[in-house]
Amino acid sequence: MQEIFSNLFEMTAFGAITWKTVLMWIIAFVLLYLGIRKKYEPLLLIPIGFGVLVANFPGAEMGIVDASNIELGEGRYKNLFEIANEFGILNFLYYSLIKTGFLPPIIFMGVGALTDFGPMLRNLRLAFFGAAAQIGIFSVLIGAILLGFNLNEAASLGIIGGADGPTAIYTTIKLAPHLLGPIAIAAYSYMALVPVIIPLVSKLLITPKEFKINMKEMDKKYPSKRKIKNLKAVKIMFPILLGTIVAIFVPSSVPLLGMLLFGNLVKEVGTATSRLADAASGPIMNTATIFLGLTVGATMTAEVFLTPKTLGIIVGGFIAFAFSITGGILAVKGYNLFVTKKINPLIGATGLSAVPMASRVANELALKYNSGNHILQYCMASNISGVIGSAVAAGVLISLV
Amino acid sequence: MEGILSNAVSILVVGMITVLLILWMVVVVGNVLILLTNKFWPLPEGKGTDGSSTVTANKMAAIVAAVQMYTGGKGKITKIEKE
Repeated sequence: MQEIFSNLFEMTAFGAITWKTVLMWIIAFVLLYLGIRKKYEPLLLIPIGFGVLVANFPGAEMGIVDASNIELGEGRYKNLFEIANEFGILNFLYYSLIKTGFLPPIIFMGVGALTDFGPMLRNLRLAFFGAAAQIGIFSVLIGAILLGFNLNEAASLGIIGGADGPTAIYTTIKLAPHLLGPIAIAAYSYMALVPVIIPLVSKLLITPKEFKINMKEMDKKYPSKRKIKNLKAVKIMFPILLGTIVAIFVPSSVPLLGMLLFGNLVKEVGTATSRLADAASGPIMNTATIFLGLTVGATMTAEVFLTPKTLGIIVGGFIAFAFSITGGILAVKGYNLFVTKKINPLIGATGLSAVPMASRVANELALKYNSGNHILQYCMASNISGVIGSAVAAGVLISLV
Repeated sequence: MEGILSNAVSILVVGMITVLLILWMVVVVGNVLILLTNKFWPLPEGKGTDGSSTVTANKMAAIVAAVQMYTGGKGKITKIEKE
């Protein structure tokens, strides 16, 4: 009788539950709570949270195993059938879709199909502030090295400052795949906290007078010399030409930027390719998001996540984010010293990606200081250029590190 | 450590210059395309020009709502033209 009960106990997972397992469950519940109840990036945090949960069920074999388990030596690896058979379905998905770097560009294609370059084309000079806001990526790279991260890990940590989930994941897959879980969590958590972080940094650096700079009044006072007489044609040619030029200068950014521009092209062509644009921004992107979220979550097993490095990533990610916002704001303030047509520094704050939430937050902030100061379309200009900027920064890191 | 740090500083410099260069190109490409389309393929005023179209936000919202209601959410507006 006792043997039956003993066998029954061994069949269940009770014997394998440790304090680490319980702690990971709590982390998973917190992520699920933030996604479901607080609506913080629910499309990503809910799959990631559930991925964390299933990866930490003892005996379920759903956690992602270290790459050394699938290496056969001499640059050869186990095939996908063997991976699925030995390590389970999530490892199959991870090594076929994530480790190959497949899903982030696919998501970027969907993002491209949802992006409108119109606001940026109407305010091209604002595109420069998307560059200034990448300073957080590179400055935290140096800070992370001082904290003891190696160069690859530091670059993956710095890319959180780009405020772009797929870019952060893609760079980490290429440079430091063992940190994928914590970096993805930090990137998406801080993106969800954009409504808190942008006002916090902006209020520290922007004066009330600068908050009130009215962009529409500036446009009326100093009107643009050139009008766009065929926006549709410009929008169609723009991704083709830009993609070609970027491919020549920073080829390593093409997987992300090329797919973004392709997605945008099929959207801008109009009815002839609307089915492709709908597929890219709908079913394909949604499917990719599910697999990305679940598998990234499943990388967060207790052995990988509960380390001092995770704490460093959480802190470093926040600093990268804050530095990027600071870089954008200071660039606008510097620019304003030399021109008569002033720019609201909040537009610099949106130079990091996080489209369109960063723009919406900046717009609301501007409206608080002047109820007639709608700056959304101006913010979108630097916000979209920030997406391009962070993808280029990722390309630079992948090439140089 | 010193070697890694100097490497990181050079990545910072090269990275920021590259990002700035590419976004400068975004500005150049945008301006060249605007110049070319204005010269060779201009549309009459109000038809797809940069003035955020002749349809106001309120009218646009009403049109979108009407199309959604009429088509049960399946319809999509791709073009609005005045006759």
